[in-house]
Amino acid sequence: MRGRRPSLFWAACVVAGALLVAFVVLPAASMVVGAGVGLLGEALRQGDIRRSLWLTVSAALIATAIAFVVGVPLAYLLARRDFVGKRAIEGIIDLPIVFPHTAAGIALLTVYGREGVVGRLLAPFGISFTETVAGIVLAMLFVSLPFLVDTARETFALVDERYEHVARTLGSSPGGAFLRVTFPQAWRGVLSGAVLMWGRGISEFGAVIILAYNPKVISVLTFERFEGFGLRAAQPPAVLIVIVAFVVFLVARTVLLPRRGRSRKDAS
Amino acid sequence: MIGLHGVEVAAGDFSVGPLDLDVPAGEYAVLLGPSGAGKTLVLEALAGVRRPRAGRLLVDGVDVTRLPAERRRVGLVFQDGLLFPHLSVAENVAYGLHRSNGERTGWRRRPAADRLGQLAGEVGITRLMDRRPATLSGGERQRVALARALAARPRALLLDEPLSAVDVEAREGLQDLLRRLNVDEGLTVLHVTHDLGEAFAVGGLFVVLAAGRLQQVGAPLDVLRRPASVEVARFAGARNVFEARLVPGDSNRLALAAGGTLRISGPVPADVRHAVVRADEITVLPADHAPVGEGDSCLTGRVRRVVCAGATSVVEVDVPPLFRAAITARELETLHIGPGSTVGLRVPAAAVHLV
Repeated sequence: MRGRRPSLFWAACVVAGALLVAFVVLPAASMVVGAGVGLLGEALRQGDIRRSLWLTVSAALIATAIAFVVGVPLAYLLARRDFVGKRAIEGIIDLPIVFPHTAAGIALLTVYGREGVVGRLLAPFGISFTETVAGIVLAMLFVSLPFLVDTARETFALVDERYEHVARTLGSSPGGAFLRVTFPQAWRGVLSGAVLMWGRGISEFGAVIILAYNPKVISVLTFERFEGFGLRAAQPPAVLIVIVAFVVFLVARTVLLPRRGRSRKDAS
Repeated sequence: MIGLHGVEVAAGDFSVGPLDLDVPAGEYAVLLGPSGAGKTLVLEALAGVRRPRAGRLLVDGVDVTRLPAERRRVGLVFQDGLLFPHLSVAENVAYGLHRSNGERTGWRRRPAADRLGQLAGEVGITRLMDRRPATLSGGERQRVALARALAARPRALLLDEPLSAVDVEAREGLQDLLRRLNVDEGLTVLHVTHDLGEAFAVGGLFVVLAAGRLQQVGAPLDVLRRPASVEVARFAGARNVFEARLVPGDSNRLALAAGGTLRISGPVPADVRHAVVRADEITVLPADHAPVGEGDSCLTGRVRRVVCAGATSVVEVDVPPLFRAAITARELETLHIGPGSTVGLRVPAAAVHLV
């Protein structure tokens, strides 16, 4: 049996990992400590922060729900079928990741703004994407969609297609096989993608501020307070959204992680 | 019955066919061939999960070529069982049950529950019904997969290497079960394998596929003793395949391309190109052996090596050409042979098969 002597390689991995974790944790912790519990309580009592927090969380949730409805079928299609233009579609879906977000906002404005093709079409029906919640949802959807589609696609690809073949021979339609066999095996990955997308959505600033400065999402409110009143005034809303995001991620991870543990045990 | 008429199936650059095959109703056919022969493609086309490029597929007399998989009523069992991991054993079996004959009741309800119990008893999984697939052994998984396939009342059962991930003891039990299902239920079975031993244990009809082409269809012993091609001979375990031609003016003797001759008997095809002799048909004799039967070949050569494989060993003898003969452990001890020994070989004329 091999000894368990720590090697220089693993020590280097630990040091590198610790540096990276500290790089992420320090600013967040410093912000929370800087704001103080009292200040956070006071911030929660302020109507504009509460409204902004709720708007941010719910708009990101709506964007995620829309992406779930249209993105999961696309992810499944990309995972299961080969067709002409598949690579191009994958590239298009990933485009928002590399777009500067202010540029994404401008691009959305040219299509969905008052003078945009879609904006003009929908205006008679009272639907507007500028300075509205719909605009915020649109901006969040655009920039965060790849996180859900890519994660779901990878997860579906990991489910052996032959499960669906068996389900089909047992009488299931292609849709039935997906719903009863594939999705139940892939839901954790899809949920993981949805949480990532939601997290990306609540942090969006660049695209949102171009389409809808008002009503203010938390990132816009934080920016406005920083510009108008300085760092101390900007800290409470920033800390609140970080805490909300952290709690949601923690809950999602505790739901997702047991599966990973089981996988390791199965593999042994 | 299962019928393939002019069927061609493709996957990327690889294609199988055109294939013409009729497996009679109630037959247990084994689709044999080396890895990469295209066996699984044929199975997938029959199951309806891969569209054939050409041809017609028949199951139980029904043309299923254009039917979707869910309406073909063929059971499909893969090598690893592929039980749905998020469902219990009972729920896995009930999956097929719900959709057979319009039964759409939950598995706990009658008559679905009765059928479930009957199936569980039939394949020996009654005690496993509440277990999760991850906790089952390979053999148990295959039994559950079989029960699940049978629950949908298939007209034919397609098995893709169903025993290759199962230990020896469980394999024998499953072989018995498969044969019983075939005989008792009259179920037509097409069983894909590359394992000749497994094929002999279950098969009533051998279908040999190599390099995308159907090489031979026949009874197991026919394929073993009278292979239709060099590919089939090699796949069927013939260890001595020699290029050969008939000796001019002697219809009972073949000249081997690598040197030497072999006596033959029976009718000789005009275009004979190869002589095939199974290793177990050759007898190894001491160097000073007595004369052998008149019609047989008697050769002398030097042992190159002896490959021991448990109860039997293969002796490689340089005559030339290099012959391989199978002998028992007892014979090996009696003959006292080893590398460098001189031995005699008796090759019965009737054992030389020409292709």
